[in-house]
Amino acid sequence: MSGLVERETWRSPRRHFVAQNSPVLLSVMILVLALAAYYFLYFRQLGVLPDTFDLTTIVDNALPLVFVGLGQTVVVVTRGLDLSVGGVLSISVALAATQMAQGVGVFGWCLAILVVGAVAGLVNGVLVAYAKLAPILVTLATLSIFDGLAIMILPKPGGQIPTVLTNVLTNPNRPYGLAFVVLALLIWFVLRRSSYGVGLFATGNDETAATANGINVRRTKVWAYVISGVCAAAGGLFFAARTTSGDAGAGTPFVLTSITAVFLGGASLFGGRASAFGTTCGAIVLTLIVNVLFFAHVNQLYQSLYEGLLLIIAVVLGLVVGRLARRQG
Amino acid sequence: MGENGAGKSTLIKMLCGVTRPDGGEIRVRGKQVTLSDPDHARALGVGTVFQELTVMPWMTVAENLLVNDPPRGRTRLIARRKLPDRAAEVLTSYGVPRIDPRALAADLSVADRQLIEIVRALQRKPDILFLDEPTAALSENEVDWLFEKVRALRQAGTCVIFTSHRWREVESLADRITVFRNGANVGTRTSLSEDEAVQLMTGKAIDRAFPKRSTPEEADPVLRVADLAGEGLHGVSFDLRPGEILGVGGLAGHGQRELFLFLFGAQKTTGGSIEVEGRRRRLRRPLDAIHAGSGIALVPEDRKAEGLLLAMSVRDNLTLATLPSVSKLGVIRWTAERRSMNRAIDQLAIKSSAPSVEPVGALSGGNQQKVLIGRWLMTDAKILLLYDVTRGVDVSTKQEIYELVISQARAGKAVLIFSSETEEVARLSHRVLVMREGRVNAELTGEAISAERIVAAAIQSQDGRGARASGDGEEVLA
Amino acid sequence: MSDRLTLERSPAAALKWVSTPDRRKVVFAWLAVVALFVIGGIVKSGFASGHSISTILVVASFTGYVATGQMFVILIGGIDLSIPWVLNAGAILLVTSSLGHDSSAAQAVLLTLGLGLVVGLVNGLGVGYLGISAVVMTLAMNGIMQGAALGLTNGLTCSRCTASTPPVVHRAVLGSPLGIPNDLLLWLGVTALVTFVLSATVFGRRVYALGNNAQASFLAGINVKLVTVALYMLSGLFAALAGITLTAYGGQPTLGLGDPYLLQSVAAVVIGGVSILGGRGLFLGAVAGAIILTTLVTLLQALNMPDYGRDIVYGVVILAILLLYGRERDLG
Repeated sequence: MSGLVERETWRSPRRHFVAQNSPVLLSVMILVLALAAYYFLYFRQLGVLPDTFDLTTIVDNALPLVFVGLGQTVVVVTRGLDLSVGGVLSISVALAATQMAQGVGVFGWCLAILVVGAVAGLVNGVLVAYAKLAPILVTLATLSIFDGLAIMILPKPGGQIPTVLTNVLTNPNRPYGLAFVVLALLIWFVLRRSSYGVGLFATGNDETAATANGINVRRTKVWAYVISGVCAAAGGLFFAARTTSGDAGAGTPFVLTSITAVFLGGASLFGGRASAFGTTCGAIVLTLIVNVLFFAHVNQLYQSLYEGLLLIIAVVLGLVVGRLARRQG
Repeated sequence: MGENGAGKSTLIKMLCGVTRPDGGEIRVRGKQVTLSDPDHARALGVGTVFQELTVMPWMTVAENLLVNDPPRGRTRLIARRKLPDRAAEVLTSYGVPRIDPRALAADLSVADRQLIEIVRALQRKPDILFLDEPTAALSENEVDWLFEKVRALRQAGTCVIFTSHRWREVESLADRITVFRNGANVGTRTSLSEDEAVQLMTGKAIDRAFPKRSTPEEADPVLRVADLAGEGLHGVSFDLRPGEILGVGGLAGHGQRELFLFLFGAQKTTGGSIEVEGRRRRLRRPLDAIHAGSGIALVPEDRKAEGLLLAMSVRDNLTLATLPSVSKLGVIRWTAERRSMNRAIDQLAIKSSAPSVEPVGALSGGNQQKVLIGRWLMTDAKILLLYDVTRGVDVSTKQEIYELVISQARAGKAVLIFSSETEEVARLSHRVLVMREGRVNAELTGEAISAERIVAAAIQSQDGRGARASGDGEEVLA
Repeated sequence: MSDRLTLERSPAAALKWVSTPDRRKVVFAWLAVVALFVIGGIVKSGFASGHSISTILVVASFTGYVATGQMFVILIGGIDLSIPWVLNAGAILLVTSSLGHDSSAAQAVLLTLGLGLVVGLVNGLGVGYLGISAVVMTLAMNGIMQGAALGLTNGLTCSRCTASTPPVVHRAVLGSPLGIPNDLLLWLGVTALVTFVLSATVFGRRVYALGNNAQASFLAGINVKLVTVALYMLSGLFAALAGITLTAYGGQPTLGLGDPYLLQSVAAVVIGGVSILGGRGLFLGAVAGAIILTTLVTLLQALNMPDYGRDIVYGVVILAILLLYGRERDLG
């Protein structure tokens, strides 16, 4: 052994954890703040604290965004962006509203809708990974196509969502919503610990390096968009279950909010770093905002203004925190 | 062995499946193979340390080390909790327990990242190991460590292919030496002297025809730098007089690049002062440097990434820094621009069939470099900062560039020059600042200048420790 | 100038002019314009009549204006996703600030253009100075403008919101004292001016340089941040201009007025052969792109294609063009 054994002092594991997860911890803090504001305003208005029904409703309302956001997270990790999630969600809602009305084969259709989402994602993925087109352009174009298809399926708002779907997916009297959030996080947990997860984060870190380490970057990217498509379709199912009727324009707001949720959740603009836990926090914050605005007597129409502001603040904070955390190291 | 651009890295990339060859065949243990991807090569027992590091910046040391073979639990899922301990075991068994497995790779020094790259390749116990310039960023101790490991592998029957710029390393390690020139194998020997090697690499005798230097005038310095500091630079002072060619030497990565960028206002300094023609200047952006006194010009290191607009025409590239002088009220005067372009083309003998439309990316490397130099000569800047201007340029263009540098100095320009070929610095400069760890380690003048002395001064240090590229040490040198 | 003049003297020289890929794409785009009108004239009588062409071109001009702004930011490798609601907010501001009175029309127009500039300024500062990615910054800005426009007008139900475009603005845009609508003259003027600025001025050259290689441009002394801010401001300005002309055309602003224009602006620029990576492409191509999109949709509508078909066609056309042009990316 030659003289390389001079041991430098390591930082403690906990300090490493804090430094490397500071953006996610920040998103948890924002969630706590939003919850505090919600409790405070709720109490001021109604004189009581929110009960489990209120909280279950919030989780149910957050579910579509949680799922769309998780899919978006996977794509953001690869340095991409999926604007077409809005269109996929709209198709999903339109299909649910038109095809399930009779109440037969509801879960068969659920599966079919998820497959449609996967196919939509596959188209995006192939165009991005194999045709090497810019993700933003590809998904902007497919967003338009998917929106058109959704209107074709459901030209006017309406249709019917069978109650069985509502009862299973977003029953306000039972904490099923929470169970689905846990399920989603569990899936992420497995994904993160699979070979695919390693490849996904390596691809987002540095494509050349990932290739040199034997990772199939193109296949990884295609799968990322497929996952995003499936998640957006699932989000559509939850959305339909909650609203109990269909609207082909349902997905439009999700383009902005899903991206906001991802960056509120501490994802890096430069890829390679993102967290499902953070995104979930971000999605719940964005849902809470609606309630907070309601109790603060702010016109609901201002909603997207606050979402936009939050997105900019989250990204700027992320840049600042990232820089500070690096400087300490 | 081979010069920059001789094809060493390209060959290694092909042999380990990163890029596909256009033709020819590869045989592994006598069987012909078509390497589809790096995984395929790895399955055949190939391990590689790449010149451009393939360490993932936003992953921890442990994740990087174990990217291909992470510890798994009973469920086949990766046991992320076990990663740091397993990585620590690996690092300890290879004699580098110093590196914290929980740290992000992005927070490590270049040398440490290089060590991770090496350990990652070694731990796979490859049958064939490629090491593409693994020592560029390493200290002497670390090089010794690497060689010890490589020798042990050779004992165990691994075949090692090692590339380096440094003759001493190749000589001490190699059983056979193959020299590359312009993408071709020009000879494989079991014994080779340094002179022969250089001759094979360059294709001519070592004694390149460097033009005669002039003697600089005895005038007030046009540039005076005092205690200049910033990231990677820890207090550098010097004067530069008109007509003088001041060389900057030392191993790459010891603050030379930073020095040039600071002097051009392209990076923030944290201390020190810059005086141009007797007046102190604050250079916050390149524009400040271009307008400082009679001007500063920088020909940057990487002409493709930092210099040229490859898809734009030769004309657009030449006049980019001098547009205001050929325009009126913001409107470009075509005739004036054309005249000024033609002057530069004539002066530098740039070969382009249609300079107003031909994209500069379509020119040869040498002509591209001339366009970049031409852009800055057109500014009539009094101070020329030339960073590795002969990199990736053919021999005859190199010659032209030497003559140009000398003639510019003769015309009263002050030149600060760095080259990755120490010989060039030695033969062109009136004076040489040898840099080490962000400081001037030695200054050589006149007859004292030689490539050997520059190299000696570059690796010599007070405390006997070898050179390290990270520059994070606070010990006082020189 | 001699360079240009000598080139146009002989057919051989004209061929030489189209020798660069950028120019060839512009020629292709204009050939496609002609082809679309010819096909339209064959399948639908009166499609290629003077009146029909003029109507189509007026509609195309709105896309043309937003595409102008979009082209400026795409040339430096950016993108402006805030166009829809800058346009929409501009349209609303025009009528709410003028209340349909000619007397305050001038201020209202200036105010609207000012709004576009200010939003562009904020976008530019976010992208250029704070280092936020263009997609995220302008997407957030679109949300902010949407929320502000909806909230302040209470969902376009406020009392001032019922006003219409001042007649003088309507006349200024759609009147045709010279035989063709003023709007087309304006578009022609904008085209000439932007072409001149991009091809013959120091600013234009720097825009292309920046789009080609930001680091090299910085090291060549270009004030990268300032140019970035200026370009986002121009994008905001043109979105506001489109808002004004669209309101003049439609009489009243509606919610969602700007929504189709995001895709159209990007599509027009891409169809016109401008590289989405920045630094390549000519403005005349984007003009042709705007005409192609509008003509194509008008033609399909004349053939009884339902409304949603437009969205699908836009998406498919963009993808097709990207696949077609994507191949040329690697060429010098």
